[in-house]
Amino acid sequence: MSEKAAEASKSFFTPFNVVAGLIVIIGLIITVLRFTGGLASVTNLSDYNPWGIWIGFDLLVGVALAAGGFVTSAAVYLFGMKKYHSAVRPAILTGFLGYALVVLALNYDVGRPWRLPYPFLVQQGTTSVLFEVAACVGLYLTVLFVEFSPAALEWLGLRKARRMVVKLTLLLTIFGVVLSTLHQSSLGALFLIAPSKLHPLWYSPYLPVYFFITSIIAGLSMVIFESTLSYRYLSHKMDEAHLKEKNDVTLGFGKAASYVLAGYFAIKVIGISTGNHWHLLGTSYGLWFLLELFGFVALPCFLYAVGVRDKNLKLIKWTSVLAILGIILNRFNVCLIAFNWHLPSSERYFPHWMEIGISIFIVTLGVVFFKFIATRMPILYEHPEYSDTH
Amino acid sequence: MSVLVLALCIEAKDTGEILDHRSDLITIDTLESFGDLERPEVIFLHDLHTEALEKSNKDCRTCHLSEKSSKDRLSLKFKRLEDTDKKQVMDVYHAECMGCHREMSASGQTSGPIEVCGECHKENTRLISARLPMAFDKSLHFRHTEANKDEKTNKGNCALCHHEYDKTAKKLFYAKDKEGSCRYCHMKETQDNRMSIRLASHSGCIDCHKKAVAEKKKTGPINCAGCHDAKMQQEIEKIAEVPRLERKQPDVVLIQANNQKTKKDDRMSGMNPVPFDHKAHEGYNDTCRVCHHASLDSCSKKCHTPTGSKEGNYVNFESAMHQKGNKKSCLGCHEINKNQPNCAACHSLNAGNPMIETSCKICHMKPLLKNSPATPMDEKLMAEMLLKSRKVASSTYKDEDIPDKVIIKELAEEYEPVELPHGKIINTLLNNIKNNTLAGYFHAEKGTVCRSCHHNSPLDPKPPRCGSCHGKPFDQGNIFRPGIKGAYHQQCNRCHQELNIEKPTSTGCTDCHKTKKK
Amino acid sequence: MPISRRKFLGWMGAAAGLSTAFGSPVHAAANKHFTGYPDSLGILFDSMLCIGCRKCEAGCNKVNELPPPDQPFDDLTVLSKKRRTDTKTFTVVNRYDHPQGTPPPLFRKIQCNHCLEPACASACFVKAFTKTKQGSVVYDASVCVGCRYCMIACPFEIPTYEYDKALAPRIRKCTMCHPRVIEGKLPGCVEICPNEALSFGKRKDLIKIARERIRKYPDRYEDHIYGEHEMGGTSWLYLSGVPFKALEMREDLGVTPAPELTAGALSVVPMVAGLWPVLLTGLYAVSKRKEKIAKLEQQQAVASTLKKANAEAEAKLSNALANARKEKDAAIKREIKKALEEAKQTQETEGS
Repeated sequence: MSEKAAEASKSFFTPFNVVAGLIVIIGLIITVLRFTGGLASVTNLSDYNPWGIWIGFDLLVGVALAAGGFVTSAAVYLFGMKKYHSAVRPAILTGFLGYALVVLALNYDVGRPWRLPYPFLVQQGTTSVLFEVAACVGLYLTVLFVEFSPAALEWLGLRKARRMVVKLTLLLTIFGVVLSTLHQSSLGALFLIAPSKLHPLWYSPYLPVYFFITSIIAGLSMVIFESTLSYRYLSHKMDEAHLKEKNDVTLGFGKAASYVLAGYFAIKVIGISTGNHWHLLGTSYGLWFLLELFGFVALPCFLYAVGVRDKNLKLIKWTSVLAILGIILNRFNVCLIAFNWHLPSSERYFPHWMEIGISIFIVTLGVVFFKFIATRMPILYEHPEYSDTH
Repeated sequence: MSVLVLALCIEAKDTGEILDHRSDLITIDTLESFGDLERPEVIFLHDLHTEALEKSNKDCRTCHLSEKSSKDRLSLKFKRLEDTDKKQVMDVYHAECMGCHREMSASGQTSGPIEVCGECHKENTRLISARLPMAFDKSLHFRHTEANKDEKTNKGNCALCHHEYDKTAKKLFYAKDKEGSCRYCHMKETQDNRMSIRLASHSGCIDCHKKAVAEKKKTGPINCAGCHDAKMQQEIEKIAEVPRLERKQPDVVLIQANNQKTKKDDRMSGMNPVPFDHKAHEGYNDTCRVCHHASLDSCSKKCHTPTGSKEGNYVNFESAMHQKGNKKSCLGCHEINKNQPNCAACHSLNAGNPMIETSCKICHMKPLLKNSPATPMDEKLMAEMLLKSRKVASSTYKDEDIPDKVIIKELAEEYEPVELPHGKIINTLLNNIKNNTLAGYFHAEKGTVCRSCHHNSPLDPKPPRCGSCHGKPFDQGNIFRPGIKGAYHQQCNRCHQELNIEKPTSTGCTDCHKTKKK
Repeated sequence: MPISRRKFLGWMGAAAGLSTAFGSPVHAAANKHFTGYPDSLGILFDSMLCIGCRKCEAGCNKVNELPPPDQPFDDLTVLSKKRRTDTKTFTVVNRYDHPQGTPPPLFRKIQCNHCLEPACASACFVKAFTKTKQGSVVYDASVCVGCRYCMIACPFEIPTYEYDKALAPRIRKCTMCHPRVIEGKLPGCVEICPNEALSFGKRKDLIKIARERIRKYPDRYEDHIYGEHEMGGTSWLYLSGVPFKALEMREDLGVTPAPELTAGALSVVPMVAGLWPVLLTGLYAVSKRKEKIAKLEQQQAVASTLKKANAEAEAKLSNALANARKEKDAAIKREIKKALEEAKQTQETEGS
């Protein structure tokens, strides 16, 4: 084998590529099984538990964590916080990939994925919250794609097209915030229809508000998390502006997250009060709820505040992990743990390893695509030919 | 934070299920008479304590003081004769209970709580009272009168228990031939100086039993469980044939509603009188109180007047005699009797409880008049004569008229026609009730018994076929009427269910009709 | 750090909008109380007449051409376990012990309750469920995407899904034999029930029948018709001789129909769509204006600083010029003085 080829082959089999490749291969195998044997062959879903982690994690958590897109673009373009400008493109990319993968995950979960366009093309079930989620997610994915496209167009050198798209930035940002408010809250509103199945500490008429506010927290924390990882692994792709601003991004977003977490804590307590559920806090589910509220809402709120005050970037970065785990915990609670809480344990759900496999597969795809795009397109740096047009 | 978690865990654990059913459970909430309680009531197990004290040869006087009025009588209050004020009563309880507990644990015995408030004043106890009320029926009364007979005269010593109260002399005294149930005066709650039935029965019964125990005589229980525990109640000896309780009561009564006897004409107004066999009814019940629920007087004398009065809680005479669902009233008791399996077999069926005009006439009989002048005769005599003249069913239609087997072939699609053993069923049903006089009176008219199945049609030895009214189900014109298949099955199944018949079962389709061979 | 007025206003607006909208359900859409299509049909199940023979299950199986069961329908030992509907079974009969422990046991037939305002129909985003005029709730497999939100929504846990089918999985549930009913026939279970524990007819008539049974036999029946109001009312009504809880029927479902539960959240959508653009554009305008003002102030500051600097420079210059002239004069004077002195000196040396 020639030296160049050996080098080329050696550079392909990096640890990252090997692991990711393995996951992708397993994922593809499970995919085939899913579409030849039906959902029963790869999931533990049942008639009592129609939604598992493909909805609980891939959809509910995925959409929440992809909220960084609208939060960052709103902060920079609507609130005029120019110093976070460098964070916009990575956040939009995370958002776009997040939503795209959510739609991919949906193709696994839904019984007949080729019929996914039916609600728009064939019959509109407008009484359904899910219809509104589907419509807004579909539109928002388009918005994100258009918001992401300047980076791709710059890479492809299509100046005119890029100039046209950039003109739409403000409109797209506003549209994006509107759509995000609607579908983030509607994901919570989905569960309003089942008060008899969701534990009263998690069921509340304020579910849509809770989901919307937590999506903001998730978005802010994800931007910090993504910027940490990008700096760790892709810092060679970051330009000066990016490197200069990234600490401000961490501090600023950490401060915002602290505020929003405090507000969220308050409205959760108000929710218990209006529902008069204090006595439930002493039950085992109550303790679990308190763990979620104090360990994953109050604690990150406090840690963010301390980190910002002391300008302790490391603390803020670790807190973002804690906050993200809190979002995952909250979504799991509403969809899987506190849902069907009244059923005997023999009827409760735990995911099949293949379901977990597909979820990991989808996250891996996200990371792989992010790496691919960020190393080639002007996400972490400004394209030198277009730096004057900002 | 971890302490909070721990505390909540413990609290969560405490709301567990009920552990123990106790018949001796007393709730100590004396201080409630002085205002709202600060701490939860104390659950006190009486038998537990008496048993523990017995082991140290201690008796009731350890906790109960003698009444001021008589040394023999013990006050039912704990270590005091009256409730003075909040602090004193509380101190009595605390000092005496905890003091005794301390003494006992000091001498090495297991004892109750000493210091911590919450160990007695428990928020969530896992104990529940299983105390059954104690019924003093005629069997027990007989055993008591026999046990306390005056040996020389062989007459009952009624004055031992039965008394009345002289308000002016403020004394109890014995009134002969006025004896009644304790509950006629001793009500649920204590009123002034008249004890509640609970206090009266404990004070009256237990003191006497204790005396007998001291004299080594066979006597009743002195602990809670002996009277109030479900199992122990079953073990109380029950005399089968109790001789009639003599209290100069009538054998027959003529019940009639005299509406302020109009002097204008001496005719009796209202419904026809009812001759009532009082002696027979005494035998049907365990206590007099089933009917004489407030006094042994006549029902309508003071309380259940024709238009109702304050003493009778405004329940008028008609209501008192006819109220359904209540054993106190005549009609109510008769209706409740119909729930016995042998009666319910027919009476539980659809349209099996017709209240037709002729039913009234079975009780209300035309009054007999003296020939001349046309005046009503002596009531007692009339009652006796009317009772004798009342018809009792001896049989129904002649055997030849009752088909022995009936073939039902209306719906035979999946199954063969049914061979109904008609004669056998009728004979069984009639046999079941042949000794029941109540049934006998109401079934006097021939063909009445047939009406349970052959319902909603005139009395006739040849009643209409079921199919003449029951056709397709869910007929819009007759929404309350089942279809023919439902009618047959509901009717047959219900009767079999009431009589607990093992075969045919309702789910044993081929028990009644064989499957059709294709 | 104090929050800026702009930021504060933005959040307040958002909070006010959300809280007033989400806090309580909007009644405009839910003012109507649907009591069923006129003359819509229903079924009354009388658990006091049910003998647990399972013939209804057999009838349903036959009429719907469902696959044969694992255990035959006349095998009553299956009643020892509690069962639920599944993809091959639209209805099951379960046996329950009398709460006082006294035989005979009680039975309940479980199937779709054909609610007046069905949760499944409200939840379906492709309108795969229809509440027909006859009262039955029917499912259209030709549009179903398989999202299974209807299974989440149904408070009675009825819809089942064919998870084992890869290409054409369907939701399965009782149809109240809608095709038979519109032909004037009886539903399969009703027709076969030997004891007429199932009564079929107009829902309003069934309620009359149920009330009449309760009136005639008050000791036999609980004074409640289950399904009259539960979840806004169902077409399948139930009578029982024991508290419905003893038949494992939920008594805590309330009387609010399921669509009303999400009507509030959905009603906010047009409000957000209408107001958010205004608020956000306003925010943008405010932030842009602030920027502009900041720029203007900066320019003014620069200009005034420049002016000041210029003036200072000029002053300095004229000062310097004046000084220079003075020096020049002084230098000239000095030179003249020097020249005069030199001339004087030379005159003195020449004169001697």
